Amino acid sequence: MKKGLMLVLLVFLTFLLSFAPNLFAEEGVTDTQIHLGQWGPQTGPAAAWGNVARGTGDYFKWINDNGGINGRKIVYHMFDDGYNPAKTKAGVKELQEGTGMFAWACGVGTSPGLAVRDYLAERNIPWVGPAAGSMHWVNPPQKNLFAVYPLYMGEAKALVKYAIEKMGKKRIAIAYLNDEYGKNGLRGALAELKAHGMEAVEQVSMEAKDSDLKPHVMKLRKSKADMVLMWTTVGHSARIVGISKAMQFAPQFMSTSTTSDFPLMMNITKGLWEGVITATLGELPGSGYPLLDKYKKEVFDKYAAKEERWGVFYYAGIIFTEPMIEGLKRAGRNLTRESFIAAMESIKGFKGIGPEVNFKPYDKNDMYSRQGASQTFLVQCLANGRAKQLTEWMDIK
Amino acid sequence: MIDLIQMIVNGIAVGSSYALMGLAMVIIYKTSEVPNFAQGEMALISSFFAMMLLTSFNMSVYPAFVLTFVFAVILGCFLEFAILRRAKEPNVLGMIVITIGIEMILLGFVSWKFGAEQKTMPFPIGPYDSFIIGDIFISKLEVLTLVAALLLMSVLYLFFKYSKLGLAMKATQQNSVAAQIVGIRTNRILMMTWGISSLVGAVAGLLISPTIMHPFMMWDPMLKGFAAAVMGGMTSLPGVVIAAYMLGIIENLFGGYISIEFKTVVAFVIIVFVLCVRPSGLFARHYVKKV
Repeated sequence: MKKGLMLVLLVFLTFLLSFAPNLFAEEGVTDTQIHLGQWGPQTGPAAAWGNVARGTGDYFKWINDNGGINGRKIVYHMFDDGYNPAKTKAGVKELQEGTGMFAWACGVGTSPGLAVRDYLAERNIPWVGPAAGSMHWVNPPQKNLFAVYPLYMGEAKALVKYAIEKMGKKRIAIAYLNDEYGKNGLRGALAELKAHGMEAVEQVSMEAKDSDLKPHVMKLRKSKADMVLMWTTVGHSARIVGISKAMQFAPQFMSTSTTSDFPLMMNITKGLWEGVITATLGELPGSGYPLLDKYKKEVFDKYAAKEERWGVFYYAGIIFTEPMIEGLKRAGRNLTRESFIAAMESIKGFKGIGPEVNFKPYDKNDMYSRQGASQTFLVQCLANGRAKQLTEWMDIK
Repeated sequence: MIDLIQMIVNGIAVGSSYALMGLAMVIIYKTSEVPNFAQGEMALISSFFAMMLLTSFNMSVYPAFVLTFVFAVILGCFLEFAILRRAKEPNVLGMIVITIGIEMILLGFVSWKFGAEQKTMPFPIGPYDSFIIGDIFISKLEVLTLVAALLLMSVLYLFFKYSKLGLAMKATQQNSVAAQIVGIRTNRILMMTWGISSLVGAVAGLLISPTIMHPFMMWDPMLKGFAAAVMGGMTSLPGVVIAAYMLGIIENLFGGYISIEFKTVVAFVIIVFVLCVRPSGLFARHYVKKV
């Protein structure tokens, strides 16, 4: 009887021990793999930003083919959320609770990101480089969330400041998307106007599904604005510029970095994007920046799909994840979420192809402990779709 | 005053694309009493087909458009023949669900095959070239859309009223069994209806594509076209066109004078209102089926 009991216990213990490596390992990490997730709109109204997630995927392939990170390869899980927050939440939960992600990279959009921010924070699952410059990521700061995209508020301030101080614009109107993304830009612009003792001559909001924007442009024209700041989708911005041309309304247009893919914008506006000034978040194609050229040659040329285009949105997927890779390297072989977060906090003066990135140990009263980048620079679209750099990198807080 | 006139002109301009989509929906409803929710995506796939001919096969615009119209007719006939006709013991609700299914399949196909990045279609008229009369403007493309909507409405009206085929379609809708008894091949009639409807939708799609093309580009026109069809009466061709222009004008006036934030919602408030007050629409004759 005793012998029988001992045998059963032995089998049970062996069975338990067989699980031991997984019992004590960090979720999403094995001896040879690190599981990282990302969502991105491959369909839907924001699909123009879908190449962010594809750029990240190609960058991770390049990392893997160059030896991986501390003996592990990245397993990348990307899903299409269609810029629909409900789908984002469902997809993140499914991957997190089904497969188990070690951390999340990028993720396009303020509203989709907001849908999962608290879910990831409650579980202390690291999330690096949300592909949106929203204040919601860092105000208040979250221990698990490291923002790399310069704040939309900062971009809007930089654009309005340039319009007033360098171009002498006196009547500034704002067209914005009626969601958190648009309102972040609106707040920044209004704050900068206030700092100059001015007010917006018109504020026009629009919904993501609006396709008839003539009433909106009529309001802008009626305001006699000499500068119109647009914080809308790619399609909306193209229509506003086009309808304005048709109405013979010709202010200086300025726009967020989300519309800084000039070849795309020139194509869908049939050349009307020429002269538009935008903020941007990375070194410019053709600028001769060595690391950017290296990525073009070793990542894009080798891994990108045939129909993919080397543009700002594509390599934004690299910009937002460069600090994450740096953090994973610094965390060493003993990779846990705690060691990764500590490694991310140690990043200072990091320069990839985007703005300089600096993090600090977590401080709930200091949003810059988690907002790594606060630099942007302004560019103007030229007739050939190339960008003319108007300013150097500016620190806007 | 200038603003008011401009808003009315804008309303008429945007109403033309609603009218074309509304017409396409009404054509099918007139024969089968089924609102076709795949209408937008049928137009979408035809537009992308045209884009493919223009860019991948380097065809010139007019032959590409002619081929697109042929494609649209075949697509409509195929969907009716291969999918809707196969439904067992079909009722209206079941058919509506099938059209929603077709919509999703076509949308997924376009996203997969052509990608989701925005693009514009080459077209003889630039989307932002405009006529300016005094302080009032209207784009040339919108004038073309207006002409196309009125022309198609007239042709279809005459077709349904005077042609043999049109009368057969009407008969199929009013009493399918009786129509069969007098020798009308109702299945074939339904197939042709889908073909014609798909053709009208393709015209709308081609006139929208020079401005912007992406897989969701037909959602707004389709929903507004449906709203116009409900408002005008699902069986009245002139009714749907008049309602589409009314809808465009109301939207623009509402956006201009009351609230731009709620401009898009107006169409749906109108649907609810019309369904409550006059369920058969503002311009349709109310038929009561005797049993």
